[in-house]
Amino acid sequence: MIILYLLALLISLTGMVVLDRRFSLFFWRDARRAAIVLAAGVVFFLVWDLFGVGLGIFFRGETDFMTGLLIAPEVPVEEVFFLTLLCYLTMNVYGALTRSSLRASASASASASASASAGTAARHRANSDGSHA
Amino acid sequence: MTYWLLNAVFLAIVALLAVAAVATHRAPRWRAIAITTGILLVMTAVFDNVMISVGLVGYSPDAISGAFIGVAPLEDFAYAVAAVVALPCLWTLLGKRTSASPDIRPASEDNRA
Repeated sequence: MIILYLLALLISLTGMVVLDRRFSLFFWRDARRAAIVLAAGVVFFLVWDLFGVGLGIFFRGETDFMTGLLIAPEVPVEEVFFLTLLCYLTMNVYGALTRSSLRASASASASASASASAGTAARHRANSDGSHA
Repeated sequence: MTYWLLNAVFLAIVALLAVAAVATHRAPRWRAIAITTGILLVMTAVFDNVMISVGLVGYSPDAISGAFIGVAPLEDFAYAVAAVVALPCLWTLLGKRTSASPDIRPASEDNRA
């Protein structure tokens, strides 16, 4: 069970990547900018965490849901993945809301696949007609 | 030092980033940030409560204000607020230099699409 929290975070992050790729929200919109924003965000929040821990404001809970691996005193390795998820989710949502071409490209690809399947159906009909002839 | 005081320091850094984005005519889309904020705050309320309930994190009672959303200290929501402002501001700050105002640039994207 110690892998449970990390596993949940990794599954969620996978979902973020899938959505990003499908709708070109963040890394698939501008990989260079996304890499900088994500790295800077995670480092920023980790420093925030370290001050919180250092000042005795919050601390790692005693639980069976975490691996117990620490990157710093009271900062579990899971926190890096949590902060990555927070940043990725934020930019995916912002990306979806600011990508004006999102709906257009989605409907374009939908109609493209619709016409593609229509074309396939037409070819099937042509083939079957041909075989009958 | 209290949790709110710690948050104030880091939220000040976020505010500086926002000022820098606006001052360099690279302001993010504030309406999109407002909607993102709503979504992130709701998700934080749900998942922070789960994370605290199962014991992933604990808080020193002396350092928090005592205001809670469920079992989540109100201070925790500063992370979400910081993320939804700082990250889009950094994103636009890293964008291509343009003389046009940021309100015009997305419009040209609309035209191209």
